[in-house]
Amino acid sequence: MDFQFDDNLVEFRQMVREAVKQDLPADIREGQRRFGGNQSDPHDSLTWTKILAKRGWSVPHWPVEYGGQNWSPMQLFVFQDELTRAFAPDTCWGGTHMCGPVIYTFGSEAQKERFLPAIINGDFYWAQGFSEPGNGSDLANLRTSATRKGDVYVVNGQKIWTSCAWMAEWGFFLVRTDPTVKPQRGISFLLINMKSPGITVRRIPQINGEAELCEVFLDNVEVPVENMVGEEGAGWTYAKFLLDHERTTSSFIYFNKRDLRIAQDIAANQMLDGVPLSKHPRFQGRLAQLEAEVTALEWSVLRVLANEQFQYNETAAASVLKVAGSRLQQTISELHLDLLGAQSIRQFPFEVHDRPNSPLWPDVTENANQRALIQRASTIYGGTMQVQKNIIAKLAFDL
Amino acid sequence: MDFNYSDLQRMLLDSAERFITEHFTLEHRRSLRDSANGLDEVAWATFAELGWLALAIPEDLGGLGGTQADIAVLAAATGGKCVSQPVISTAVLGTHILSGATAPRTELLEQIVGGAARIALVHGEPGERYAGAAPRAVTLTADGDGFAISGQKLLALDAPSATHLIVSAMLEGEGFALVLVEADSAGMSVENYPLLDGSRAADIRFETLRVHGDAVLATGKKAEALLMEALDRATLARLAQSVGSMEEILRICSAYLKERQQFGQPIGKFQALQHIMADMFVVTHQARSALYQALAHAELSAAERSRALSLAAITIGEAGQLVSRQGIQLHGGYGVTDEYEISHHYRYLLTLEKISGDLDYHMSRVGQA
Repeated sequence: MDFQFDDNLVEFRQMVREAVKQDLPADIREGQRRFGGNQSDPHDSLTWTKILAKRGWSVPHWPVEYGGQNWSPMQLFVFQDELTRAFAPDTCWGGTHMCGPVIYTFGSEAQKERFLPAIINGDFYWAQGFSEPGNGSDLANLRTSATRKGDVYVVNGQKIWTSCAWMAEWGFFLVRTDPTVKPQRGISFLLINMKSPGITVRRIPQINGEAELCEVFLDNVEVPVENMVGEEGAGWTYAKFLLDHERTTSSFIYFNKRDLRIAQDIAANQMLDGVPLSKHPRFQGRLAQLEAEVTALEWSVLRVLANEQFQYNETAAASVLKVAGSRLQQTISELHLDLLGAQSIRQFPFEVHDRPNSPLWPDVTENANQRALIQRASTIYGGTMQVQKNIIAKLAFDL
Repeated sequence: MDFNYSDLQRMLLDSAERFITEHFTLEHRRSLRDSANGLDEVAWATFAELGWLALAIPEDLGGLGGTQADIAVLAAATGGKCVSQPVISTAVLGTHILSGATAPRTELLEQIVGGAARIALVHGEPGERYAGAAPRAVTLTADGDGFAISGQKLLALDAPSATHLIVSAMLEGEGFALVLVEADSAGMSVENYPLLDGSRAADIRFETLRVHGDAVLATGKKAEALLMEALDRATLARLAQSVGSMEEILRICSAYLKERQQFGQPIGKFQALQHIMADMFVVTHQARSALYQALAHAELSAAERSRALSLAAITIGEAGQLVSRQGIQLHGGYGVTDEYEISHHYRYLLTLEKISGDLDYHMSRVGQA
């Protein structure tokens, strides 16, 4: 065993930190810090992707031949850690981390040529069409159908929880191409232009006052057959590949670290009886407890990244990250609310330009409040807490 | 002991539930967000007609002389539909201070009963986190034949729709003072904003607002005691609202578990979810018990009353967190949309918890008492 980071990582971290400091526009950083919400503002996200692309850093995790950097998993970890720490927005995850890897692994040459450069440069937003109203946890039973008619698939159905679909130009969809076989085998992976006739997008008003999630209705949408990725009927395999590809993402370790830091800042600045909350035993204890949990989570992530040979099933180990990370996102947010006290219950306006700037309110209040509300979803999306526990029971212990 | 409703309470509850269920639909509540000050004028007129605004006022001052238990019955019913109208600010907190003032304000109480006046307490100040104890920054100073108020107040609940404000201030030589101010007075700058439950609040800066001597409702120890009593009454009513909200969440969630299908069966068939539902049931039951415990001590000495209240606030606050959080979890993605009731209950319970003094505040109050 060796518990030390490689020597070059310290330098690497410093190099990334300097670069981000130089490149990240102040207005984007402040927008993320003060109003971040649960999802990067999609326009900032694309702008930032373009800036990263100039250094060749928008998809560093991809193979070099497709535009990635030859960075180790640890370097990629440090890179993302530094970006999040600096309040950089995410890239469009659907493009850079979800359908991008599926396209370069399973897609045709034409698809690679057409879509990979656009993802690398943040040319447009990607919508993810997986969940359906009747099939959230039970994804394999999805019902949106794609029927082959000559050179096109005719797609009918409805998707839900699609982030930023209203501004997405393309989407990657799981559709049922064969209703006669076992559910998992009749699913295909289809790229659909979101401006196609027959697509309607409805934004869903959320608990935090935003409306970033959408419903997507597909009514006789004609999709050229060349937009099918890989083989017909292999969509379920590709979706699993895509989710396995991101084994550590669900820990939200970067956000957990950053949110803990925000909690520590609020605690240092909010006063009670003339003393900062960070000096009051009850809050000290909670901060310490969360720091312990975040630290343990980070080392759990490092174990996966360093390719430890697990005694238990690997997918079960990934579910550990999801269970611990999603719950931790909520507990840290809950602490934000408790630290802010009554100031945690203000509803801020949806439009950024209407947002007030009162010296009576800590300037991270809005971010903390809105994030705490939408964090209730972190134990729901990407497989609910209960589904994750079922996975652990089954895969780790064969129960 | 008898934990069943009296005939009067049963009548109150029936009429309240009938009106509230019919009037405060989800769509209606969402539409109130667009109103200037959050006030539902039609509902307010009905509150007056049904006698709710007179309930807490002593009979000799023209009210119905209801007990705190009566108020709790009504408040729990409003909690069931996340009603965030300024009823408690006016009809519990405001009426208690106006009735107990050195010279009771019968005229204003009459206007409240009729639905024409609404009261907001302007008490919290920056950086004090619920403590509200002297010495504080907002001052009342002698100015000719009256007084001048100056200083900054934070988070005055329901101030945007109030006709009158009760302002706490430090008066030299007297300590605490409570002052009645008309809401449209000159000499204040006001920033109004909504809270998560749709209610409204304001940060108010008094820039030497002048009032007559008779605007002072009470001073010194009397003012302090009156204020603490009124705040405890308001908190008790809000705890009842929380219990009402939780009990409604049980109903909503159990129905959803029977209706929502995944993996070819209602999700209520999954033991993981059954156990969550059972946990929610346990703490909600405990929450109502805690409420009754607080009601049992509500008319005792200040120390006994406050301690019992804080114990209830801890139990109900924690129960509210568990019930509202798991309520969302049981709904999956739909739980975090604005289009399902459950997210409204979540925000309602969070607002109630944080308005009434959070868990940290109530735990330290119990620890010190």
